[in-house]
Amino acid sequence: MIAKTRKVSDYKQLNTELPTVRFVDPEKVYLNLTTSRCEEYTLDVKKGDHVKLGQIIGERDGCFFRQPIYATVSGTVEDKVTMIDSTGIDVECITIRNDFQDTYHESITDRPDSVIEKMTQEEMVEIVREKAVVGLGGSGFPSYVKLSTKEPIHTVVINAIECEPYLSSDYRLIKDQPDEIFQGLAYIMQAVNAEQGIIAVKKTKTELIQVLEREAKRFEHLNVKIAKLGDYYPQGWEVETFKNATGIKVPSGDLPMKHGLLGFNVSTTESIYEAIKHNLPITKRYITVNGDGIKFPQSIRTRVGTSVKELIKLCDGFVDDADKLELVIGGPMMGVAVKSDNVVVTPTTTSVLVFRPIEHLEEPCVRCGSCVYSCPVHIQPVSIMQAVKRNDIDAIEGLEANKCIECGLCSYVCTSKIPVTDYVKDGKKKIG
Amino acid sequence: MEIIQNTAPHLRKPNASVVRMMRDVVIALSPLVVLAIINHGLTAVWIMLAAVISMALTEYVYYQIHDAIHRNREGMENLFDQLAKLKKELKEAEQQDQKDTLKKQIAEIKQAISEKKRESKREENKKFHPINKNFTLYNYSILVSGVIYGLTIPDATPLAIVIIGGVVAVILVKLIFGGMGQNIFNIAAFGRAFIALSFGGAVAVANHVDATSNATVLGELVAAPFSETGYSLTTMFTGIGLPGTIGEVSAMLILVGGIYLFLRKSFDVFIPLVYVGTVFVLAVATMLVTDAGWWFPLTHLLSGGLLFGAVYMATDPITAPVTRPGRIYFAFGLGLITYVIRLFGAYPEGVVFAILIMNIFVPAIDFPKWSHTQFNWKRAIIFTAVILLSITAVMIGAESLAGGLNG
Repeated sequence: MIAKTRKVSDYKQLNTELPTVRFVDPEKVYLNLTTSRCEEYTLDVKKGDHVKLGQIIGERDGCFFRQPIYATVSGTVEDKVTMIDSTGIDVECITIRNDFQDTYHESITDRPDSVIEKMTQEEMVEIVREKAVVGLGGSGFPSYVKLSTKEPIHTVVINAIECEPYLSSDYRLIKDQPDEIFQGLAYIMQAVNAEQGIIAVKKTKTELIQVLEREAKRFEHLNVKIAKLGDYYPQGWEVETFKNATGIKVPSGDLPMKHGLLGFNVSTTESIYEAIKHNLPITKRYITVNGDGIKFPQSIRTRVGTSVKELIKLCDGFVDDADKLELVIGGPMMGVAVKSDNVVVTPTTTSVLVFRPIEHLEEPCVRCGSCVYSCPVHIQPVSIMQAVKRNDIDAIEGLEANKCIECGLCSYVCTSKIPVTDYVKDGKKKIG
Repeated sequence: MEIIQNTAPHLRKPNASVVRMMRDVVIALSPLVVLAIINHGLTAVWIMLAAVISMALTEYVYYQIHDAIHRNREGMENLFDQLAKLKKELKEAEQQDQKDTLKKQIAEIKQAISEKKRESKREENKKFHPINKNFTLYNYSILVSGVIYGLTIPDATPLAIVIIGGVVAVILVKLIFGGMGQNIFNIAAFGRAFIALSFGGAVAVANHVDATSNATVLGELVAAPFSETGYSLTTMFTGIGLPGTIGEVSAMLILVGGIYLFLRKSFDVFIPLVYVGTVFVLAVATMLVTDAGWWFPLTHLLSGGLLFGAVYMATDPITAPVTRPGRIYFAFGLGLITYVIRLFGAYPEGVVFAILIMNIFVPAIDFPKWSHTQFNWKRAIIFTAVILLSITAVMIGAESLAGGLNG
């Protein structure tokens, strides 16, 4: 098929219809001490200590920022274990045995609205930094860096697109907690002094649009617009969302802040609300468990630090008749296949997908050009692949492999079933 | 249960496959095959069979030899090295007992090799794979080349020449470059051009009982560029009873095939559109400077292999550029060269030559330094200038050609 492909089958139906399962009380939680960004840490508690919900138990370090680690349950500290995080790497985790009391730490107190109204950007940034809010769309980039921008911002865009197939965690969040999202947006707009807010959502998700529009009436003073964008992939890519929601095209390599735009994921917005209003770190999040390798797919609201094994058990486990399965953390287009089910839910884990692996017959490239037509950044994956094969650095640079956003569309559309994306990623690494 | 790791994306587009694309081309070609058999009877059957079988058999034999050489040593390089070393030692050994032990060792290694071979064969039988992975009949690729090649051949061509053309084209263009996806020339076009240049007069159209002459439309056009041919435009459109190659004559059925391929998205519709459009515009421009009527551009459009080449040969993705602007430049070049060869050249096979010439330029069009996926103002202006320039050049050339013929 030689054609530009933008639609990727959705597979969301079931999970958006079923109610969210609340599973907030695992027996043990595992808190990751390191992340792919921060490889060093200090730990303030030792085995046997009792910690409270929201208590700082250590600090991640080793990057340009420092990030406190919060206990997400109250209970007793136990051993350190090694588990896999959402980026597929091994991380060290500290185990906390839940005492099911949910005793909050003394610092967790609500801020009255009168106080929040008078807060400046610096104060809000400080709270967001201290509460370790990161980009929950999967990037894990600390939100305070974005929020502390000194550029004049005219529009705050909340990204509720969730363009990856199978995922429905943002969908459930909007349906369950629209009020929190609008409050969070209000705080962000107050911090950066923006004139308008936009919530970008797929136009096919009519239920969400209804919910958001009704909610927008409550917040009429805010000047919030609901942008209904086309249902295609990768609509959720920041640049694409900005382009379609505001009409402003952010060139490759430019920060959106330079163009007066600030974008946040909906889950991040909700966490910013929790941090500023309730002084809470990220303790819970929505997870999608889906795929054809799981018996009963559903959306789950769970505690950060829950073991994925337990979530799979909650969904009746893996299908019985498969001798090989693929476990993907994140969306099917960009997610990481992990080596075992010893995975922990970190704030940036959006989903657990289990697939029956399909063996594709890989054929020689016939240069049909589908990847070139479909590429959202308008580069030529097939030419980059050939340049990578012959290790031609000049050609890889000339073909602008560094523009690649690794969306996976080129492999998705390939008529010869070649993993083109892998070659392009290789090329990106080669030119640094 | 075992957890395996694949790289992202974990989804693939369901109906995108090479097999589907190639099968669509075969389906789109089938009305032409039927018409060829109606028009020419058994002759067409023999020519097409000769074309397809010569190509497929060449490839099959080549890969049998290729695999026999390569598969035997796969994963056993170690053992073969040891064997060679021991044999060398055996030659140099002097004492009898030393020779005996060496012979014993050699026998052991030989046994190990044969065991491993048997094992790998068993393994291979277990796995799903096409009978011979490199032999491209399973994905219709060689069938497409063969049928297209067969359809471009005039009906009086001896079968031996058809076979020679097929064998040479597959070996020289496809196999020595590394098989499917690696060829730089269109296989069918190369075969056709090869027999046209090598055997000249033998590649010819037979005398038809019901036709007024044995010249093809294009043959008449090349001989006398500005005088009307003896065929009506309707005949040229339907292609029934028209002398010419066995499969290229029916514009109607080619359009049907083209529309099918377009609806199935199995080819890039921009290539045939721009190609045919270029030829048409140039012919209209010529019409304006000479006293030919509207029949002139229409005859150019409908005659010879233009539509056939545009729909089935120029759209071969392997030998076309990969970007959309690149494909438009490519198709424009095809149109220009085809028309120039037809108007000023001596051969009627303008289409296959144009395709082969533009195939050479594909790597240049795709060169990383300047290939691009989108038009911008600058590129559009330059391209428009090139188009206008070529139209002017063709008009000047045609005027002097017409003047020369009249004077």
